[in-house]
Amino acid sequence: MKSSQALAIVLLSLLLTWAGQVVLGYFQVGKLEPVLNEETNLREPPTPSGLAQTGARVFASEGCLECHSLSVRGPSGSADLTRGWGERRSVSRDYLFRESALVGFSRIGPDLSNIGSRIKEPKDLMMHLYNPRNLNPASTCPPHPWLFEMKLAGSRNEADSLPLPRKDWKQMIPTYQAKALVAYLQSLNLNYSLPEAPLK
Amino acid sequence: MTFPLPSHSRASNAAVVMITSSAIWGLLAAGLQTLSTIQLLLPIFSYLAPLPVLNYGHLTPVVSFLLVYGWITSGLLGVLMILVPRFSGIPFRYGRLLTGGAILWQFGVLCGLTGILGEGGTGTPFLPFLRPVTCIFLVSFLVLGTGITRGLGGSWKSGPLLPRLYLLGALISFPLGLGTADLLLRGGTPGAVQIIVQLVWASILQHLWLTPLALVLVFQLIPAMTGRATSSLSLGVLAWVTTLGLGGWLSNTLETEGPLPSWLQSAGVVATLLLFVAVLGNGILIHPLLEGKMEEIKRNVALRFMSIGAWSYLATYGWLAFLALPGVRQTTVFTMTTNATQTLLIFLFLGSVLSGSVYALLPVSRNMGWPSHPALTWHFWFTSIGAGMMVSGYALAGIFQGLALNDPGVPMGTIASYLRPFLVLVLIGQFLWWAGQMAFTSLLFSSLLKLFTSTAPMAIFPSENPASTTR
Repeated sequence: MKSSQALAIVLLSLLLTWAGQVVLGYFQVGKLEPVLNEETNLREPPTPSGLAQTGARVFASEGCLECHSLSVRGPSGSADLTRGWGERRSVSRDYLFRESALVGFSRIGPDLSNIGSRIKEPKDLMMHLYNPRNLNPASTCPPHPWLFEMKLAGSRNEADSLPLPRKDWKQMIPTYQAKALVAYLQSLNLNYSLPEAPLK
Repeated sequence: MTFPLPSHSRASNAAVVMITSSAIWGLLAAGLQTLSTIQLLLPIFSYLAPLPVLNYGHLTPVVSFLLVYGWITSGLLGVLMILVPRFSGIPFRYGRLLTGGAILWQFGVLCGLTGILGEGGTGTPFLPFLRPVTCIFLVSFLVLGTGITRGLGGSWKSGPLLPRLYLLGALISFPLGLGTADLLLRGGTPGAVQIIVQLVWASILQHLWLTPLALVLVFQLIPAMTGRATSSLSLGVLAWVTTLGLGGWLSNTLETEGPLPSWLQSAGVVATLLLFVAVLGNGILIHPLLEGKMEEIKRNVALRFMSIGAWSYLATYGWLAFLALPGVRQTTVFTMTTNATQTLLIFLFLGSVLSGSVYALLPVSRNMGWPSHPALTWHFWFTSIGAGMMVSGYALAGIFQGLALNDPGVPMGTIASYLRPFLVLVLIGQFLWWAGQMAFTSLLFSSLLKLFTSTAPMAIFPSENPASTTR
């Protein structure tokens, strides 16, 4: 075999690898459009807020994906729906407006695709981030106290301070990163129906 | 008395920069990996020291980054800088430029490391760093890759073809893959397509860059060490074409259902099974090279590592084919079987080939020999047994995890407790591997500094007389 033939084979196989998957994939899922919900007159999936998009970056940088996936499977071959991780499976259209599409690597903790509808109170999510054992003493999730800062409190705590017992007139306030992360987690919500994945 | 420096040795400093840095990154990665496993095993640890840099979510991408870009890629490029000018007979011209390229690569690793530790990763598999680091790697690779490729075309017909074919494939796949993935993932590609790009990049990095690089060394060094030639060139070429054609599709098996189009998932399964057939073809070529050479394998640590690496290559793709089987895939997606695959690929296959190549090639380049020191044996046994324990621990943990995840009656907390015995096995394996790598690193530095009385280098390139040069 000549070196030019070998070079041609290498370039052709790389072209087929990229074109075969990314270009064909683009024509299949890259041009998907949101669906209009006739009852609410809203487009679904909804566009996440700027704060939630920032939160997606915090989610990635804190390495949450090392333990939590963002893809509900089912109904056949997996127990995701029975576990209550979502009311339907995740599909390509759910990732339409995600600036950075993340799926995750492992499930040491539960899937978070639908966490926004499972935990509705932002304070509960904040408390979990600050110290997961506040809500579940058996949690194996690590705490993220660096997403919060301690501040002196006046006669009353600030509205967004964590509901923790006061120590020396101090209160625990979420940083911008914590607020963004919570906004992102709240935006993870699969409670809308899509033609290819209707709600149960 | 000092003789003029042979032109082969112009790459010597660059190779030493890459190989010594690789040893240090490997040691650091293994230490951090042990720390992250302790956190998984004892979650209370993260409550005792709640620091972002020690957080499991920060450590895990750092470990993966250091293993791939710091340890394996640096090391393999380093040994190739020694090997290629010798097997091609065409020397390097610009030694200082190559050394600059090698230092730039290490600077890229350092920037990536500090970036991920400080700011966190990007969440993208095998691309956890920001664009400036990609640029550093690409510029460095332009220098190193050009240096390595230089002799390839001119010497195409002057030696074994298979190592040249794999080298050509790897050297083109890496920059094109990294550049394209970076452009697409950070350039406003629609979310659903990003998932496809991430998986293509993961496949290219593992199966079209790292695996072919290791195969260059397997097909060049094992025949040189055993004095036997590969039996069938046509079978080897067929396996090479199959590797290149299908290697980029393998990671699609990491998804079941979910956002990845189902035809891509099926294509991933078919590609994995077909590629395993090609890998078996390579196994048919490797087996006669090592058959009946047990005494030599026992005596020669380089050959011992190379043979472990060669068989781990078959085991890695066999394991991937097993995981791709319908039923198995549904159970094992999102479990620690992925860690088992990574460990098998990186520690047992690539790591063993890298260690064997360093033992065989570094002495040729530096006019040195390895001392007859027990650390040499410790390195082999500790890293091999350690990696074996890690793989089996992760594999068993992953299978139990998958079965439990598919049983909705088992709470998540209980699944975490199921994993603990296996994680203990993994942790012991990581300690052992770290100890083995520590032995190797000490041996490497003391040999480079000539602190021990050493034996003569092994004759890999009989035409070269290493005793005739000094640095």
